[in-house]
Amino acid sequence: MTDRALDALFQQAGGRVIAALAARFRNLDLAEDAFQEACVRALSAWQQGPPADAGAWLYATARRVALDQLRRAEVRTRLRPEAPPPEPTPEEMAMQREETDLPDERLRLIFICCHPAVAPESRAALTLRLVCGVSTDRIAGAFLISEPTLLQRLTRAKRKIAEAGVPFEMPRPAHWPERLDAVLSTLEVAYAQAYQDAAGCGPHAGFAQEMLALSGLLAERVANDAEVLALAATLRFAEARRRARLDVDGAMLPLSRQDPAEWDEALMVEAERLLNRAAAVGRAPGPRALQAAIHAVHAARRRTGRIEWGAILGLYDALLQWRDDPVIRVNRAVALAEVQGPQAGLAALSALDVARLSTWLPYRAAEAALLQRAGRLAEAAQAFQAALALNPEEAERLYLQAQLRACG
Amino acid sequence: MQYALLIYEDHDAYPGGEQGEAWQAILNAHTAFGGEVAQAGIMRGGAGLKAVQTATTVRTQGGQQTVHDGPFAETREELGGFYLIEVADLDEAIAWARKVPLSKNGAIEIRPTIGPMPE
Repeated sequence: MTDRALDALFQQAGGRVIAALAARFRNLDLAEDAFQEACVRALSAWQQGPPADAGAWLYATARRVALDQLRRAEVRTRLRPEAPPPEPTPEEMAMQREETDLPDERLRLIFICCHPAVAPESRAALTLRLVCGVSTDRIAGAFLISEPTLLQRLTRAKRKIAEAGVPFEMPRPAHWPERLDAVLSTLEVAYAQAYQDAAGCGPHAGFAQEMLALSGLLAERVANDAEVLALAATLRFAEARRRARLDVDGAMLPLSRQDPAEWDEALMVEAERLLNRAAAVGRAPGPRALQAAIHAVHAARRRTGRIEWGAILGLYDALLQWRDDPVIRVNRAVALAEVQGPQAGLAALSALDVARLSTWLPYRAAEAALLQRAGRLAEAAQAFQAALALNPEEAERLYLQAQLRACG
Repeated sequence: MQYALLIYEDHDAYPGGEQGEAWQAILNAHTAFGGEVAQAGIMRGGAGLKAVQTATTVRTQGGQQTVHDGPFAETREELGGFYLIEVADLDEAIAWARKVPLSKNGAIEIRPTIGPMPE
């Protein structure tokens, strides 16, 4: 078996094994260390090929490693005469039970990694590392930070979880909404990183696949929550369009100009099915359901050939009741321009906090596009130049440059 | 686990000081909250602190100690009191912190305590 195939196997099994160890021993460091050690042992033990259930083998081995470590630590404590007799810890109670099957505790691990008491940027990194088994250099690359900085963040987050008393249980009903919301926003942050990472890199889809799997897992386990289902749908709508996002020159293609034939039909259908399930939960749609619905309206173009901008505008209006932020305001202005004309869109943009937003790329790019649509080409050219001065990513830079040339 | 719930409030939250209406109202609210905490069997201690104008600080710097008037740091929100509670985990501590009475704006900082001194 090649090293790459082994690495893939370790990554695939990692989430479940680490989650089961963390749930058993209530210690993230111990779980991670024991899993690493089990992987090292596997390298020599699996020379004739991995066992049928590699995950169960890794779990059984890692569990023995963890128990050995705990016993050694216990002996050290006992040797200190001044130390008080230790009370039985959950670890010791775990030692007395002989369980070797591999339970699926990933959902529990997700809730631990995404606790609101952990810094938001660390939550996503910790989840990717522990639950998805993404290597630290890939996570650091996606978050545009150095690997030592990432390792420091992970260490700090794990220490916070251990010392602040973050529960290792599934959240109780009273804490559920807040805890679940933290999980969903972590997934959003992590996917946004994977999404950006992929612009211009074609096959290197970042860790988007892991995020799809994770949101799918949540949708399966928390099947009666519309926001969970809607987020899983949104990630699939976005991912389905990955191939269509760049033109042949590598320039960004706005969603409304993409070729629907390039979209991944199977993923789109899966997204629509998830959104239908979210709608079937009943209750008024939450912010993530509204966002998924906006994606769904765009996705419907592959059947109808047109975009129902009126519906999109209505969805943005509803979304504003939940989240009144510049991202939504700018997108709403673009939708408004499609319904009522570019002047209306420009008016909506200028009603925002222009002084603050003028250095924000999405605002500048939207303004430039609407000026262009309104035929105010000199102003549009200026706005495209201002947008280009804000250091857009390669794909967006190429797109803005092409638009600028069209104004000239 | 044992947690300290540290109460930080705007210093202009109590016009009229200890004679003001807001002060009386918050005292009543704390009496009720303290009763609820005691009822739950998780109260391990706590105190309200007098206004920051009463604070005196002993500062040690480079081996030198100085005593001066005022709190250790001049901030808009100041420490006004604390509760010590014994609960299962951080989620429960957060749930109690949400219920700590505040006059207006403020924040409750949740800090796990270091375990008891060995005998």
